[in-house]
Amino acid sequence: MWSVHRHAFTAMASPNEIVLGGVDAGQAADACEIAEAEVRRIEYKYSRYRDDSVVSAINARAGRNAVAVDSETAQLLDFAAELHRQSDGLFDITSGSLRRVWDFKAGREPRPDALALQLQRVGWHRVSWDGRAIALPQHGMEIDFGGIGKEYAADRAVAALRERGLRHGFVNLGGDIRVIGPRPDGQPWVFAVRHPRHDDQVCARIALRDGALATSGDYERFFIAADGRRCCHILDPRNGQPVRHWQAVSVVAPLCVAAGALATMSMLIGAQAATRLGMPGVGFLLVDAGGQVHTHDPEQLLQPPTSP
Amino acid sequence: MAATETEVKAWGGVLAAALLLPGLQAPALAETAPEQAEMAVKLLHYRDRQPGFDRIKVTAPSVYLMVPVAGRWSVEGSLVNDSVSGASPRYHSAVSGASRLEETRKAGDLRVTRYNDRDAWSLGAAYSTEHDYRSRSVSADYRRSSEDNNTTWNVGVGFSDDWIGSSNDPTLSRGRDTTQLTAGVTQAWTAVDLVQVSLGASWGHGMYSDPYKFPDRRPDRREQYTLMTRWNHHFSDWKATLPSSWRYYADSFGVRANTLETAWVQPMSGGWTLTPTLRYTTQRAAKFYYDPVYDASLGAPFPPGYTATSPQYLSPDQRLSAFGAITVGLKVAYEVAPRWTADFSLEHYEQRAAWRLGGSGSPGLARFQADWLQVGLSHRF
Repeated sequence: MWSVHRHAFTAMASPNEIVLGGVDAGQAADACEIAEAEVRRIEYKYSRYRDDSVVSAINARAGRNAVAVDSETAQLLDFAAELHRQSDGLFDITSGSLRRVWDFKAGREPRPDALALQLQRVGWHRVSWDGRAIALPQHGMEIDFGGIGKEYAADRAVAALRERGLRHGFVNLGGDIRVIGPRPDGQPWVFAVRHPRHDDQVCARIALRDGALATSGDYERFFIAADGRRCCHILDPRNGQPVRHWQAVSVVAPLCVAAGALATMSMLIGAQAATRLGMPGVGFLLVDAGGQVHTHDPEQLLQPPTSP
Repeated sequence: MAATETEVKAWGGVLAAALLLPGLQAPALAETAPEQAEMAVKLLHYRDRQPGFDRIKVTAPSVYLMVPVAGRWSVEGSLVNDSVSGASPRYHSAVSGASRLEETRKAGDLRVTRYNDRDAWSLGAAYSTEHDYRSRSVSADYRRSSEDNNTTWNVGVGFSDDWIGSSNDPTLSRGRDTTQLTAGVTQAWTAVDLVQVSLGASWGHGMYSDPYKFPDRRPDRREQYTLMTRWNHHFSDWKATLPSSWRYYADSFGVRANTLETAWVQPMSGGWTLTPTLRYTTQRAAKFYYDPVYDASLGAPFPPGYTATSPQYLSPDQRLSAFGAITVGLKVAYEVAPRWTADFSLEHYEQRAAWRLGGSGSPGLARFQADWLQVGLSHRF
């Protein structure tokens, strides 16, 4: 009785999709255009790969002077500062500069002295941020909105769709998902969570009528060191080392930006993740280093894995 | 280890902090409280006339204000001040002997609404006063949405307490109490079709006779029932909406009326919206309405065989006669600036006995015409 319209596009270096139900093709196309434009707006504004982005402007002034920012950027920086405070320094938007010494393409670990030097350029506590202007005190310091930018874009795209009266569907930006509302028949959408070691296998299915789902894993960019240790791209800002406790963390929360931040923070904090994530409105799925799945599911969102 | 265990706190602040980010919405709620305040000023001009005779003119400026409060509440209120001038026919459509009237009416209402996730309720009060009439009313409404937001139910109850006087008869002072009940259901049928069915009933007790008409004696009880069905269809290709409705009305005076209404809401480029409307009503007369055929010896306005005591009920009120009526209208709205909308609407009403369907109209009445012209400006902030 009902049909869905799917719009796929690439942005933020990810394959993305917008799925809408309960509307005809014309309305869906108009709505997707607006939602995609909102995603691209955020990409252009915050991409560290674009010289004209706000993030590049801030990074280019590192070690020189403060940069005054607009109110949207200010609110994102406030959010990042709050995540840094809540996670006792684990979630740190300045940790991206560690990529300069970790060569994931070549699969090379940094020399200890190079890593120690680079760690001096990492740390939100070093940054001067007064709510209006930001100054990175040392040349070579940089910020990026990894872990929250794409998720924020998913939430904003959904807000734009809801404002246009859309009530059924979801926005999926490279696996960071925010639901607009249930399927037109009132049933939840079902999302598969991929297995962190077998990309053709599903380790859980998560059913959502609203809210968001975000996953952070050690399988996106990694190499295996000579001694067999797995080195993934999620780096602890305190010692510059890759996280090893969880293979993947999926979090269900009311907003995608919260789910994404909590997933990343869980990867970083390791063993305490289950306790830290124990709060109302949040469900999670942790895959430990041995491939064992741990779930907390107060709202019965997770379904047993099915064979591919 | 035990000491560190107790220090491990949940990251509850992350959700709260995320909600502070700009432009994100809270999880889906069926009943959403308004996020912006709205203010509107309107000026209504009304006039009606019969051939060779301009009857009544009304000029009514009004203001409306709605303010969201604490996220879950809204408070709205309006004030209107009418000035009425003209003359009212004392019986049927007779012109001679019509009394002049010049008066003003002041009215105001206030409504408070509480929004929860799936339901909302509101309480309202209204007051209206003019020198020969005063009305006070209170009402309560409740509505609830289904889990999938596709169905909404609503129920309402209202009471009004009216006082009726007369400038022709300073001794007249009568009351009227009315109780009203409404119930309805709205269903999103498809993505582009919305249907609604609502029922209304009211029971009143008190003075219904018109103190300005003679002879006019009506029952002191009136029951009124309405059945309303609406269907709104959206045409995606045109980005237009076609709202249609049928309303059936019956009351204990014997009046039966059917009203069909349709409109076409067409948004256009540049912030313009055009809405032409068309409405048709056909009505059966009240049981005690009498035609303009008068007693041979007493003459107008007395019906044949009239005595001071019989018949028990009678009225020459043209509004209780059998007729058909057509209203055509056009509304033009223009978004002057973001969040500022100006609108202009014009409606023309014409009532004729010959336009009744399913029976003949009341004979001997002049056609009746009325025009409404309204200009308004509204602002959300």
